[in-house]
Order: sequence, then C-alpha cells, then structure tokens
Amino acid sequence: MSLPAANILTTASVAPAAEVAGPAAGRRWVRNLEIAVPATILILLLFFCFIWPMVYPVPKPVGGSLTTVNLPLWSKGHIFGTDIVGNDVMSRILYGGRVSFEVAAGVQAIGLVVGGLVGLVAAYRGGWTDAVLMRILDVFIAFPSLVLVLAIADSLGPSETHVIWALSAFSIPAFARVSRAAALRLRDQPFVVAARLSGSRPWRIMFQHLVPNMLPQLLTFSMLGASLTIILEGALDFLGYGIPQPTASWGNMIASGESFISVYPRYVVVPSIFLLVTAISLNLLGDGLRARWNVR
Amino acid sequence: MDAPATAAVPDGQSAMHLAPAPLLEVSGLQVTFHARDTSIYAVQGISYTVEPGQTLAIIGESGSGKTVSAQAIMGLLPGSASVAGSVRFRGEELVGLSQRDMRGHRGRSFAMVFQYPERSLNPTMRVGSQITEAIRTHEQLGKKEAHDRAVELLKMVRLPAPERRFYEYPHQLSGGMRQRVVIAIALACGPQVLFADEATTALDVTTQAQIMDLLLDLQQQTGTALVMISHDLGLAATYAEDVMVMYAGKIVERAPAKELFAGVRMPYTQALLDAIPRIELEPHVLLPVVGGRPPDLASIPPGCPFAPRCPGVQDDCRQDAPPLKQYEAGRWWACWHPLGKGAQ
Repeated sequence: MSLPAANILTTASVAPAAEVAGPAAGRRWVRNLEIAVPATILILLLFFCFIWPMVYPVPKPVGGSLTTVNLPLWSKGHIFGTDIVGNDVMSRILYGGRVSFEVAAGVQAIGLVVGGLVGLVAAYRGGWTDAVLMRILDVFIAFPSLVLVLAIADSLGPSETHVIWALSAFSIPAFARVSRAAALRLRDQPFVVAARLSGSRPWRIMFQHLVPNMLPQLLTFSMLGASLTIILEGALDFLGYGIPQPTASWGNMIASGESFISVYPRYVVVPSIFLLVTAISLNLLGDGLRARWNVR
Repeated sequence: MDAPATAAVPDGQSAMHLAPAPLLEVSGLQVTFHARDTSIYAVQGISYTVEPGQTLAIIGESGSGKTVSAQAIMGLLPGSASVAGSVRFRGEELVGLSQRDMRGHRGRSFAMVFQYPERSLNPTMRVGSQITEAIRTHEQLGKKEAHDRAVELLKMVRLPAPERRFYEYPHQLSGGMRQRVVIAIALACGPQVLFADEATTALDVTTQAQIMDLLLDLQQQTGTALVMISHDLGLAATYAEDVMVMYAGKIVERAPAKELFAGVRMPYTQALLDAIPRIELEPHVLLPVVGGRPPDLASIPPGCPFAPRCPGVQDDCRQDAPPLKQYEAGRWWACWHPLGKGAQ
C-alpha cells in the first residue's frame, strides 16, 4: 500500500527539478552539435581533398587506364568505381573538391575584402559616396545573378581563376550590403563617437573600431555565401563555362555523367552527394555560428 | 591658439592667464534638423559662457536640446542638422570648421563622457589600447610611454589594479569601472572643457555619487571646466556651481546653484523642483507632475514655450516669448511674471 504512494512522492518531487535542468542543458547540447557536426564534416572533407592525396598514393584523377573502364561502386582499389574513361571516381571527387573549396574560398575572400570595404566606406562616409557606391552595386544585384555570372565566365573563357572572378561579381555586392548595414549600426554607437571625439582619424576608426565589431556578421555571411558559391560553381561547370575537362570538378563530373544517368546513375549521384553535403554543412555551420555569436 | 596641452594634468592656472576671452563662449547657437518635409528647431539661439574650472549643469527634460547643443559645439551632428550662431573656444570660431580642423580640438580642447558606459567602449579592444589610442592621436609617444601614461590615468580615475586592468576587455569590468575608463579616455589629452552627458544616469546611486565625486576631484586637479548635462536637478544642486535650465530648445533660467534653489524665478524650474520626491512629504501623496507635453519643435507657437503648461500663465505670455535677461547679478531668467517677484 505504502509503496506506490512513496513512488508518487519521489517522482513528483524529482520531476520539476529535472524539468528545470533538462531543456536548458539539452538546448546547449544541441547548440554545440549545430556547430560541431558540420564543422567536423567540413574538416574531414578538407583533409581528404587537400592532405590525403599528398600522404596516400591515391590514383591520378586523369589519364586512367582503358582496362579499368566503368567499374562499379566498391570495386577493389576504386571504392567509388571508375568512370567511362577509366579514371578513379574517388580520386576525381577529391581533386574536384579542391576546386570547389578553392573557388569558394577565393570568391568569399574577394567578396569579403572588396565588398566589405565598399560597404564600410559607404556607411561611414554617407551622403554622396554612399548613394553612388550603393547604386552601382544595385545594378549588379538587379541583374539575374546566374545570367551575369554566365556572361562574365563566357567572355573570360573557362578556367578556375575566371570562375572565381565571375562569381565574385555576385559576392561583392552581397558583402557590400551586409557590411554597410553592420557599419551603419555601429557608426553611431557611443564608442565610435567617442573615438571621433578623441580626434581619431577616419581610417583608424573604420579599421580599429568598426571592422572588428563587424567581423562576426561578415564571417557568418561568408559561410552561407560559400555554400551558394559551391553550388553556383557546380552549375557553371555543368553548363560548360566552368572548369574544363579533363580537370576534375564536381560540376563537370555531374555534367559528363548526365548522359548516362538512366544506365549508371552513380556518375551523377556520387558527386551530387558530395556537393550537397558540403553545401548543407556550410549552411548549418553558418547558421550555428550566427546563433552562437548572436548575429542577426 | 595652440594651448600647450602638457601632460594628463594640464596647467589650468596658466591657461586662465592666457585667455582674456572666456574659455568657451556660445552665442546665439541654433540647431535645426531638416527632415523630408519638416524642420525641427532643436536648439533656438542659446548663449552661455564657460570659464576655466567652472562647473555648469545643463538641466532639462528629454528633447529640450541639452545634448544636441553639446554635440553641436563639438561638431558631432550629422549632415541633416544645420548649425547657426557662434561657438568660440578661446576666441576661435568653431562653427563651420572642417572635420579635419575640428580633429585638432577634439580630445584636447574638449572631451565628453557618455551616458551608456556599456556602449562607450569598444568591446573588441583592450581597455588600455583604447586609452593609448586617445593619447597617441595628439602626441607623438612611444608604446612604452603611452602605456605608462594610460596606467597613470587609470590610477587617477581610481580604478583598482590599473596595471592588470590595462590588459582587460570592457566586458570584464563593471558599469562603474567602465565609466571610470571612459573618463580616463576623456581626460587622456587634458581637455579644457569636459562634457558629462548624463554620465551617471545609467549607474546605481552609490556608484553615481562615487563617479560624481571623482569628476569633481579630477576637475580640481586638472582645472578643467565641467559641463554636466542631466535631467536630475538634485544632482545639479549637489555638484554644480551654476545651473542652466533648458526647455524646448531655449535656456529659461540660469543662476548659481545655491541661489537658484533658494528662490526660483521661472515657473518651469519650480515645476521640476516640485516633481522631486521629498522625505518631508506625507506618505502616499501624489507628486505634483508637470502637466501636458513640451511643444512640438517642428511648429512652435508664438509666446512663451512654457505658457500652455504654466500655472501662472497670463495673456501676455501667449503674445511674445520672454527674452532671457540678466535681472540680478549672476541670475538670468526668461519669464514675464517671475515667481517671488510679483509680491514686491
């Protein structure tokens, strides 16, 4: 008789305490995972793309032997098989990943520096400078981005550096907008006014007081931008304006596999999965950092 | 007019002998903000002088133009504001000076302490670097010398363990400590006039008293003039020598603090005083509040700006605005029917 009653008592007294500690601790745990999981995936991808081929004898991504054409997945020595000209798909994925990451990093770096500076100067100087700079950028933003990128890529000709230039036409205005908004919010903060009031020069105020406070916002934005860049780069490759064959890239792997999609879907599926996982990881990392740094 | 701003402690005495003109002379200062289709007359021709070593309190409610007038003096207003009138610092005209020329004055001629200690410091910079930045803007000093000077300043504002605090970030300091750092930065180049814009409003009462005492002590040491901008009449009564009351962009009364509180002339000042809770009042009594709202600064009716809210309003108050005049030694007011004079 007394046993159930005791049970009720203990559960009743324990439950509220557990509820108080529960969600908070759980949320923190999820918060950490939000950053840790995508970050781990990205670090692994970066490691396998850039370092692994240097320390392990990975087959060459080009010039495969015609004796090993079209091997299926999980073949000995070729875990993702080989393509129709006998190149190891795993190796092409790794070298293609290098291209994706290099382009993403290049485009984001150019966007961050050039766009960031334009936005910063526009916000700090205000008035005519602001109006002129932002209207020029509006022209770029008003253009359908893919059409613009295609036009630039086409006129420059296919190569990795040209892809970076072409995609920068898309990242520079985006960064400029974010940077301008961030700088405008900071410009009238008392500590910036105080710096002006102590006689600091404009460039010093911009780089010492504004930029460090804008960085969290710009860096999170660059994560989200990188994911978009990787997808756009794939699209350029796919359309034939990006990395030319036989150099490996995820986009041109998908493009060349597309003709066989009904017979050998693996040619499209494998690089697509890598593209997707990378893009999603960058997005999740960006969102996670945004929540962590409390950036809008 | 380059006054040698020597060390962290400028020579207030010799500065006084150098200047026949007042240290800071504001005359007919007007600030108008131009919005799309309206103009807001935030400051409507105020005049006052500040002498070396003086403590002046500018009192007024929100939107009375007290902060805007200080910002106008220091050239901090945005492009949408037009400033007219004259501000002379040791005889040199400041209105219309370019930002470049203004830079020479900032920090050295005048400095400012802001209301929000949590936002007055750059969160990404060490406390020490923020002080040395201010020092090295005006003086060619080596890293080591600037560091020593900064630590000296932190000692001066009585921040405990200044050597350690030098390397800390603002988030490691409490509100009062941050305000001390802000004061140290403001004093870094030995300003001749220090504006304290609601400098203690965001702090709790004990910290407020400590910071005010510190400001007055530093003022004694350095001989700088202190302009307190506040909405707190009690604070002004305790700490200032002179009190200036602003209402709707105008100065309505100016007097030495002691005389002002002994016999107020302007009904607005009286209304403000009545609204302060006092220990002698019966418990649970409603405080007399100033009814109504200050006039819309975009369209000012003729007459005294306080007329619609004034308990002693008469017909002539609605016709013409009373000018601010000196009626007694050291006492100015702008009222046709001043209090305490009608009986005579």
